Amino acid sequence: MNFDLDQDQRDAAAGAKEFFTEQASPGAARQALEGAGPVRPGRKALADIGFLGITVPESAGGGGGSLLDLAVVAEQGGAVLAGPSLVTAARAAVLLADQPELAAQLADGSAAFAVVDGSPDGSAPSIDAADATTFLALDGTALVVGEGEATPGKPMDATRGLANVRLTSRRVLVEDAGELWARARLAGAVVLAAEDLGAADRAVALGVAYAKEREAFGRPIGSYQAVKHMLVDAWAGVEQLRSLVWWAAWAADAAPEEFPLAAAAAKATAASALERAAETLIQVHGGIGFTWEHDAHLFWRRAKVDRFLLGDEAEHLDAVARLAVAGALG
Amino acid sequence: MDFDDTPDEAAFRSHVRSVLEQHADELVHVAPGEQSPDPARHEADFRRTERVLAENGLVGVTWPREHGGQGGTLVQQAIVAQELSRARIPALINHIGLGMCGPTVIAHGSDDQKSRYLARLLRADDVWCQLFSEPASGSDLAALRTSAVRDGEDWIVNGQKVWTTLAHVADYGILLTRTDPSRPKHAGLTMFVVDMHAPGVTVRPLRQMAGGAGFNEVFFDDVRIPDAERLGEPGEGWRVALTTLMNERVTIGGAGTDLGLSPEVLAAHARGRLPSLTPEQQALARQAVGRAVAAALATRYTGYRRFTVLSQGGIPGPEASAGKLGGTTAAKLIADAGVRLLGDEAVYAATADGDDTWQKTQAYLPGLAIAGGTDQVLRNILGERVLGLPPEPRTDKTAPFSGGAGRLSGRVDGSES
Repeated sequence: MNFDLDQDQRDAAAGAKEFFTEQASPGAARQALEGAGPVRPGRKALADIGFLGITVPESAGGGGGSLLDLAVVAEQGGAVLAGPSLVTAARAAVLLADQPELAAQLADGSAAFAVVDGSPDGSAPSIDAADATTFLALDGTALVVGEGEATPGKPMDATRGLANVRLTSRRVLVEDAGELWARARLAGAVVLAAEDLGAADRAVALGVAYAKEREAFGRPIGSYQAVKHMLVDAWAGVEQLRSLVWWAAWAADAAPEEFPLAAAAAKATAASALERAAETLIQVHGGIGFTWEHDAHLFWRRAKVDRFLLGDEAEHLDAVARLAVAGALG
Repeated sequence: MDFDDTPDEAAFRSHVRSVLEQHADELVHVAPGEQSPDPARHEADFRRTERVLAENGLVGVTWPREHGGQGGTLVQQAIVAQELSRARIPALINHIGLGMCGPTVIAHGSDDQKSRYLARLLRADDVWCQLFSEPASGSDLAALRTSAVRDGEDWIVNGQKVWTTLAHVADYGILLTRTDPSRPKHAGLTMFVVDMHAPGVTVRPLRQMAGGAGFNEVFFDDVRIPDAERLGEPGEGWRVALTTLMNERVTIGGAGTDLGLSPEVLAAHARGRLPSLTPEQQALARQAVGRAVAAALATRYTGYRRFTVLSQGGIPGPEASAGKLGGTTAAKLIADAGVRLLGDEAVYAATADGDDTWQKTQAYLPGLAIAGGTDQVLRNILGERVLGLPPEPRTDKTAPFSGGAGRLSGRVDGSES
């Protein structure tokens, strides 16, 4: 058994960390929320470095990588609350598996894609739809591509680019696309969980660092068990989430029969792990953690939004149970 | 990333499987849906099971050959554990000896002790127990009071141990004592091997909340232990005990058959019970089942990550405590979901047809959050040694034990018994 990243994946994660740390930050997420700046790194930078095409076949100009290759990069984006989300890249790459021209446009960034959740005539809030120009949607049972009008709501987390979409044109790509659509949504859920993993990991690290330096009653607050145990529980949740994200991302390509259960378990766990990490980060900081200037609420906003995207915890726990009862565990 | 056996591992697995099939008649098995039998009540069967497995090289897989082991790898040990579980063979009677006492003898024992004890331990000719906890020192293990006083070539031991698993069937135990009360609490301890049949050793079973009697209190009244049975130097007992505790947390599947508490077992149970619930009950039960399965798989795959590090020569670290914490949480969720699936019968200690599997499982779990380090002590270890958070002040750490130290303490390592 070898349940670890390989050297290439570790190198990719290190490179991604460097890129995202330079290009994005919770500070930039705050500015975007204030309408004072763009979501960073933005589509062009992500396309230029090749992250939008990691799972697009090489023949279509992509990296020909696995979902796990994409997930380790997405984790680093999550750590600094980067946008747009690599969820869109993951989903679109699955949907466009037999559309090399469109897949090439996804990879090189020449078209700004979003995948639309819900009805193409009036969708649910969809990730990165706010500034997209090319929409993929499920119209009945058919996969369609087209242009549309995106109406953003008031953002709770501006980096997610959420908007409701109405398609204004559509062209059928695949007639009977139900199964393909479901698989793409699960791939997206795993990458969302990977971004949540990065955000949760960073939130715990910030909480731990503060608990070591802030003193109360003559000693660092991290020495008190009430604070210490809160941070440990958040950290343990992050480590458990990491295991599920890696397993699910690996299964997407290597063990398709395990993938639906693994992806549902990862997404359900991501919702609670990031929420706990972000709420712990605020609590450990006390009053300062509840200020606009502090970064804690940006992690909290990400948690409060992501838990509902691509299915909430209850939906995915129900799926885990149904799949397990149907024999998915062997 | 790869979860498959290498060709070598696959060959070893099929060897293990064929040994278990060949000797099936001589081994204890647990029928599906049954609880593991009490080793004390079926002592002869359990000892025979372990002896047969040892004679076929399936016990002490990672132990050095010179001590009767196989000199094998952690991966091989894990494969054996998986196959024992698959064959529905319950935890070996000597799991404490194999997991904790034996490795401590290997690390700190004299050549004479190693040759006298280790091979017999593997075959369950001798069953071992671990005599650590006392009525006044559980989590704060180093505050223990059982004394050993030098008397010529012997030591005279007086005191009491408690929560000692398997003491009522054990032949030997590793015993942590205080030999120098004038020194600070961690510095005055010494470890011994004690003959559980020696004059002055009294074992009294304690009935547990679930009804069974798996652990005991053990009294020492002027028990004479030869100096040759000392494990490590006088005053080095804490360092020796840390070897035991470290092994306790990295005994990868040594005793780890998860009979009755795996997500697979819960899924099978749910398959049978869900249809008899109302649609509303089914939806709620599925939430409980999904949560339990997700938690169990998260713990399992986190264990795989740790195992990968160990199998590539990594050193087991304090993060192993997270495995126990996660396992306890997952087990509680599995038991809760299992009981919930019984519907109205969940409030009785057994179903109408007499099945008490899930109720018994539920009643066993509070102990899991205490034994081998409470959830709270494990969080202290993780917070301080993994996250690097500062310890709580400990007023007794440097004071002589006899000066009344030991009333306030911070991070310590809990132990099972």
